[in-house]
Amino acid sequence: MAVCIAVIAKENYPLYIRSVPTQNELKFHYTVHTSLDVVEEKISAAGKAMADQRELYLGLLYPTEDYKVYGYVTNSKVKFVIVVDSSNTSLRDNEIRSMFRKLHNSFTDVMCNPFYNPGDPVQSKVFEGMVSGMMVQVS
Amino acid sequence: MSCVQSCTSVPHSDEEMSVPDYMQCAEDHQTVLVVVQPVGIVPEDQFFRIYKRIASVSQVSVRDSQRQLYIRYRHHYLPENNEWGDFQTHRKVVGLIAVTTCASAKEWPQTSERFHGQKEVFGSTLYDSRLLVFGLQGEIAEQQRTDVAFYPAFDQCPDVEKRVEDFVESIFIVLESKRLDRATDKSGDKIHLLCVPFEKKDFVGLDTDSRHYKKRCQGRMRKHVGDLCLQAGMLQDALVHYHMAVELLRGVNDFLWLGAALEGLCSASVIFHYPGGTAGKTGARKPKQSQPADAGKRHRPGAQEVLIDPGALSANGISADTSTEIGRAKNCLSPEDIIEKYKDAISYYGKYKNAGVIELEACVKAVRVLAIQKRAMEASEFLQNAVYINLGQLSEEEKIQRYSILSELYDLIGFQRKSAFFKRVAAMQCVAPTIPEPGWRACYKLLLETLPGYSLSLDPKDFSKGTHRGWAAVQMRLLHELVYASRRMGNPALSVRHLSFLLQTMLDFVSDQEKKEVTQSLENYTSKCPGGMEVITLPDGLKLPPVPFTKLPIVRSVKLLDLPASLRPHKVKGLLGQNMSTASPFIYSPIIMHNRGEERCKKIDFQWVQGDVCEVQLMVYNPMPFELRVENMGLLTSGVEFESLPAALSLPAESGLYPVTLVGVPRTSGNITVNGYHTSVFGVNSDCLLEGLTNVKTGGCLVEVVPSLPRLQLTTSLPRSVNVLAPLSKEELSSRVSLQLFNGETQQLTITLENIGTEDIQSLELTSKMVNTKDKMYGEFLSWDLAEAGSQLPLKPGQSVAVAVGVRVKLDFSGQESLLQELNDDGISVTGLPISSPLRHVLKPRAEKSGGTEGGKTEYSHIKSLEAVLNFKYSGGPGKVEGYYRELSLGVHVDVEPSVFFTRVSTLPATSTRQCHLLLDVFNSTEHEVTVSAKNNQDLVLHASECQRMAIQVDRIDFESLPQREPDPQRYASAKQLEEERLRAQGCQINSKLGLCWTIPSLRRQGEASVEGVLNQLVLEHLQLAPLQWDVAVSGKPCDCDVVAQCRVGEAVELEVRLTNRSQGPVGPFALTAIPCQDYQNGVLNHELQDAVTFIGSNTFHIDAVKPQEKAVCAGALLFLCTGDFYLNIRFQDDSSSSGGRELPLSWFCLPSVHIKALDTPPEAGA
Repeated sequence: MAVCIAVIAKENYPLYIRSVPTQNELKFHYTVHTSLDVVEEKISAAGKAMADQRELYLGLLYPTEDYKVYGYVTNSKVKFVIVVDSSNTSLRDNEIRSMFRKLHNSFTDVMCNPFYNPGDPVQSKVFEGMVSGMMVQVS
Repeated sequence: MSCVQSCTSVPHSDEEMSVPDYMQCAEDHQTVLVVVQPVGIVPEDQFFRIYKRIASVSQVSVRDSQRQLYIRYRHHYLPENNEWGDFQTHRKVVGLIAVTTCASAKEWPQTSERFHGQKEVFGSTLYDSRLLVFGLQGEIAEQQRTDVAFYPAFDQCPDVEKRVEDFVESIFIVLESKRLDRATDKSGDKIHLLCVPFEKKDFVGLDTDSRHYKKRCQGRMRKHVGDLCLQAGMLQDALVHYHMAVELLRGVNDFLWLGAALEGLCSASVIFHYPGGTAGKTGARKPKQSQPADAGKRHRPGAQEVLIDPGALSANGISADTSTEIGRAKNCLSPEDIIEKYKDAISYYGKYKNAGVIELEACVKAVRVLAIQKRAMEASEFLQNAVYINLGQLSEEEKIQRYSILSELYDLIGFQRKSAFFKRVAAMQCVAPTIPEPGWRACYKLLLETLPGYSLSLDPKDFSKGTHRGWAAVQMRLLHELVYASRRMGNPALSVRHLSFLLQTMLDFVSDQEKKEVTQSLENYTSKCPGGMEVITLPDGLKLPPVPFTKLPIVRSVKLLDLPASLRPHKVKGLLGQNMSTASPFIYSPIIMHNRGEERCKKIDFQWVQGDVCEVQLMVYNPMPFELRVENMGLLTSGVEFESLPAALSLPAESGLYPVTLVGVPRTSGNITVNGYHTSVFGVNSDCLLEGLTNVKTGGCLVEVVPSLPRLQLTTSLPRSVNVLAPLSKEELSSRVSLQLFNGETQQLTITLENIGTEDIQSLELTSKMVNTKDKMYGEFLSWDLAEAGSQLPLKPGQSVAVAVGVRVKLDFSGQESLLQELNDDGISVTGLPISSPLRHVLKPRAEKSGGTEGGKTEYSHIKSLEAVLNFKYSGGPGKVEGYYRELSLGVHVDVEPSVFFTRVSTLPATSTRQCHLLLDVFNSTEHEVTVSAKNNQDLVLHASECQRMAIQVDRIDFESLPQREPDPQRYASAKQLEEERLRAQGCQINSKLGLCWTIPSLRRQGEASVEGVLNQLVLEHLQLAPLQWDVAVSGKPCDCDVVAQCRVGEAVELEVRLTNRSQGPVGPFALTAIPCQDYQNGVLNHELQDAVTFIGSNTFHIDAVKPQEKAVCAGALLFLCTGDFYLNIRFQDDSSSSGGRELPLSWFCLPSVHIKALDTPPEAGA
């Protein structure tokens, strides 16, 4: 399961970022931040091809020594980033995809809230709960 | 990607090339390496001047051929790296240029020795060498030597470039010969095995005769020839050789060299495809080492800077030379293939732990090619791989260099964030704890370069728009690092600036604990170096704009306050009107309003006065979890010279909105704009401009300052009161007095006006206004004479003037119901009060209900209040010239207690028609003994709550003779009011005639008692002189009631009846009949006196119409025939009634009766 999940706005600032509490939070900030380079590159590359039928799932953005970073971008250019532990080899691509889909659905619910101001940090408890479910459970 | 990583650390050995050249790029493969070094003592700057000139010769067209030779210059090169020269020939030092100084011929041998020593270092690989000697003159210098050039001085060497070109040519000759030598050396069965340093020991004792070994030798040699061809400018040949080498080496699994052959192939293809080079113009070079060399090389004449798409080239067949086209198609790799082959080569290198540097450099080269191809994703994969290449134990400096270059390469492929990340790592490396002398300056510089990657600018203006959106956690970390680095650099001003910026822009993201820490350290820094508003310019030209603390405290609204009411300037009305008319001919126009809306909403409709303290109110709050001390908070203004009087305040933690008043004094007149405010918080001075602030409400910031006006201070002889006059707010009155008076009492109020300003007071006016007019008021409440005060004008500053104001209260207390009730019950008939008084009708039933007599006493002692405002208008100084004045108002509050009043008034006719008796029931409502006195009457002593009647004989009053005021339609709106006014005037006259006074001896108080309130129409009519005045004169003597006219029997007595018309209209005609009669004093009147009295002529007189103010006289004569007392009744007939005229009231015809005594004897004189 994930060690860090982030939602990034169209303008590339974080709307939501959550990591497992045991580890240095700032490190994940750096990881997610730098992964945006790859996301942008992938979007611009994909944008040239087919804007309409673009695959939202960007796949593995880059592997680091300890983590694998996966990306997903919605049609409105909101990005989701999931960081998983490299040691977790049992995790399949399909599982990552389904995590992103869940994340996307939940984020759509957040956006549907008339009291949510697009561009503000996500503070929904439902969203928070869903993310917690996807995170590595730390005992 | 398939690159194999070598992760294990390898011990450092001599055989290993330890220092990678991160600047390398694919086209460096075609260069020859020349080392330029100083020998002996050479001034550094001079050496680099010469080095630069040498390095400018980076490309030489070789004589008699189309080929170009490219030269790479280094002034520093490790001999270990040179040992890899066989592996890749561009790593081999083939030329040496030594630069030396030699002052005298004596030193020459030593210098020459040194030069040879230097040659030994690279001796095995050198093709040729040169020595440039500076400073030596004389016979040695004159000898012609090819390897040595003599110059007298560093600036007298015009042919250095020429020399270098010759040198390059000589290198070319050697190179060419070696190439030819190796290329044609096919038949030789014994080919020397080329190997890299670390391989040497592996091949000891190997079977040199095996086929495998031979193939390996051949393959390596092919590859080596390929390198030489590439250097010698024969690209196509090189490609062919590389291809052959790849085939040979692949067959024998010689992976290291296979990798080298593949890389050679890639390099040659890159050179073909991208003649502009792959290093990029912005590729930052280590300036001393390679920049000049590269600079020359990258700008090859004729080379196309633009990227040529090789695919497009081949498809369109642009190239005219078909042979090269064919050759290229066959041997040259396509751009995609280049990357593939690089990947292969790198994976082969990766198999060898000792080839880390080669692998790393290959990665860097590949990345540069990919950057040109704009394939960022693949480039990032190469870089990712490069990160993990382990080069064993790197020195700190090498680490810094490595991270920096990674950052640069990421930047090259557009990965700004990655680039920033590595730059930051490099910065941190500069100050790693293992470094004995941390390079804080370098660290700081590198950190600054990471700012764009974290989308952080150091200009607070970029953060003023709404909430901050960014990677706050990461940005804050960076700012903290900047603060720390700048502090360690010993530049506290920078630390303060960065810390201020952190606090200002990241406030929303900082936890309470951090807020405390940050502010604490900020205070520490500012104790050494206070923060200010100046722009800090860094040595590299970066400007750090000032950071005003607009959030410490947060200002929510700015409101300019009007002056207090007493200091407010007022414009003289007339002048204001003029201004209005010049502004626009229209009273209202929506179009103008619309156009000038912006301007209008900013300008405030009150004025400030030059020289007077003006206030601006800010609503602020403190977002910090602790008390915030704001010092030196003042206003920033423009337009008018303004003296700001700063304030210091302390805001409690997380305070709500908190009002703060900032004050200042405008020193000149004109329009002043409040632009903002300045503060000093935590030792940082900030100028906060309102235009840069969002969420600040202002009601306009532009206000007019009028020229200075004087100031008056008002003191009174009476104590001040705190009572607030009902309809006026406290603010509008500058001062208040209150006093207690008995009704009818008069008190003097002395008002002292002191000029406490700086201007002379040139004009002073006084007006008064009653505030509550519920109660009917008689006479002037306040009266004054300003003439004396006016004579003292102009009033200089510090001087004062006194104005006496008389306070006189005269109220009507008689209408108090309980009182009337009580008095009515005692049975005295009420003739004075009209029965129809509405007051009585309404109030009587209620009094009956209460029934009790106990309530009566308390109720009639109730107090009435009178309130009025005295307004002083004054002006002077320059403000007066501009038409402004000031107002000072004094509220006067008087509690009026009833003194004595008249419960009833009635009249009794006196004997004379010109007089009557006024009966007054006087009631003492005080608790003291009161003496009431009237003019020419004796005093009446009344005990508390006692009621007594007093009778006063008064002359009837001629109301008509009162000065009639012109009926003013505005003042007396209705006839009723007109009537009231008339009544008032009449009452006043009666009052003054009566001169009723009361005194309370015990209190030594005295006052007037007024009858005005109780007078009614009936009483007035009785008191009034008839408008038609009849005078009867007997024998020329006026005759009235008590006067007895005397005459002699038998003598004719003249009778004259005179009518004076004092009424408004003409009266008459009248007929008067005089009838004599005799009173026997027993109730019998004898009219039958025909034999006693005879009229001479008629006893009836006719008077024609008499106009107003005219008199009519009719005369007759009487003859008394016998003595006796006679009376003459004059009867009256109104003839005009028959002609339909108006009815005249009976009282108008009140005629005197004439009493005549007829005597026998002549009357004695004086009887």
